[in-house]
Amino acid sequence: MNRNNVVIHLALAVVLILVAAFAGQLNRWRKHWKSQLHIIPAEEKRRATSTTEAIALTDIRGFGRPEVLVKFKSGVSQETIDELTSRMNDRVEDRIENAPGWEAIDDLDNANVNAIIAQYSSIPQVEFVEENYEIKADDSLLPVLPHDPQFGEQWALANSGQRGGKKGADVSATLAWATTTGSDDIVVAVLDSGVDYNHEDLAPNMWTRPDSMPPYQDNELGAIDDVNGFNAIDNASDPMDENGHGTHCAGIIGAEGENDLGIAGVNWHVRIMPLKFMNAGGYGTTKDAIEAINYVIDRKKAGVNVRIISASWGGTQRSRALEEVIRKAYENDILFVAAAGNSSVNNDRNPHYPSSYNVPNVVSVAALDRNDQLAGFSNYGVKSVAVAAPGVDILSTWLGNSYEEKSGTSMATPVVAGVAALVLAEHPHMSVDDLRKKLLASSDPIVALKGKVGSGGRINAAKAVE
Amino acid sequence: MNKEEAVEKARKDLAQRLKVDAADIKDSVEDADFPDMALGASEDGEMSGQMITRGWRIRLSAGGQSHEYRADKNQVRLYKYKGKNYRV
Repeated sequence: MNRNNVVIHLALAVVLILVAAFAGQLNRWRKHWKSQLHIIPAEEKRRATSTTEAIALTDIRGFGRPEVLVKFKSGVSQETIDELTSRMNDRVEDRIENAPGWEAIDDLDNANVNAIIAQYSSIPQVEFVEENYEIKADDSLLPVLPHDPQFGEQWALANSGQRGGKKGADVSATLAWATTTGSDDIVVAVLDSGVDYNHEDLAPNMWTRPDSMPPYQDNELGAIDDVNGFNAIDNASDPMDENGHGTHCAGIIGAEGENDLGIAGVNWHVRIMPLKFMNAGGYGTTKDAIEAINYVIDRKKAGVNVRIISASWGGTQRSRALEEVIRKAYENDILFVAAAGNSSVNNDRNPHYPSSYNVPNVVSVAALDRNDQLAGFSNYGVKSVAVAAPGVDILSTWLGNSYEEKSGTSMATPVVAGVAALVLAEHPHMSVDDLRKKLLASSDPIVALKGKVGSGGRINAAKAVE
Repeated sequence: MNKEEAVEKARKDLAQRLKVDAADIKDSVEDADFPDMALGASEDGEMSGQMITRGWRIRLSAGGQSHEYRADKNQVRLYKYKGKNYRV
């Protein structure tokens, strides 16, 4: 054997030893995992990227779960243990390696767990027996990540430090999704430039008037076929967006999640009611905003479960009529989430409307950047601005099946409206007062917001849905 | 509407307001981010989307006075002309 052959054989031997060692370790890991009371392993849960999949995994793990953990006295042989369990038509499901003497016993008769405990307690060779409790406590804290291809750019929902951001400076959406990804029963009105309701990432989550519900009756114009929502500019049925702003806001609230398209909304499932009062230029009149809010209230009274209005717009002129109709929305249990404005001013001194109206259902929203700093353009006000949310470089849906990044308190507002919808998905009967309180009380305190917004915090979806 | 068209529209508007020849108006234009979709120049009673909007700041001078127009692909506005904003 020449020198080269010796080297090759030695190398081969080393590789074989490493493979054998790794296989042994894998086996130990497998046994160790099995001994962990059948908690779903974190890695496996993380692979469960949809709620349905996660439930399926839980069910699989639950099948054949041993009922009791038994500790036999020292010196009792494995043969004796096998004989004792077999006599009771039970089976040693596993030996718990890290707890010497403990066996996980599966009762093949599926008897009551207390009866099994009593049986084993009466056996002289048994030192101790206890129920194999199912541990679920931490399941809901595992993040759920959607497969939407551009989700990695959605720092507002999951800030991994991408593009120089601060890791964790987000609304904890992935943790909230372990509890709920939204509900088709919750309707959010997007009061804006309309919505491109044909956008492929929005279409499945758009509200349409049920056939059983009569069309909207305008006092002056008569019946309006509001099958896709309402257009207050023309007092017509078509709320198609000609600007893009409303479509962007709608995507933040509820672009369909886990559909292998574009982005995920704060809600993967929700119903978005498009309302158009701003034109192709992105501006509109107070009168048309009032008409659209009246429409929402009318539809609520007609049976539509519309609980939130998202209002990413404003101006500096106060309107008593607008304030009154927002109060009317409050009386009908509808939350009104409004942009604080983008003039870098203190709204306590320079009010911005409708966000500065002192009505109990109004939540005024400031904007944060990806480093948890108040955006340079954002208005603020410890008395008149309630909370902050991500509002810089926010990726969302745009006209014609496209996506764009935009900035403004316009973008922060639908984040909060979306979180409100998630809360209602989990707590459908929560009153508007409690909903507002919940959103603010569950926000994360942020140093940069101290003395700037009333709650001093960034909205936190995971805490809000608890 | 592109930048050149916006400047042209602004020049015509100012010429009419001041009753001067458009050729006598000097202009300078720069790209700008405006605070909202009314380009930070809302008219009375107007509400606008609170989204940062990319556009152009157009400064026109005539008769020894300077006036600011703001424009984007959708609109041209005259900013604080005698204390008020106007959509052109």
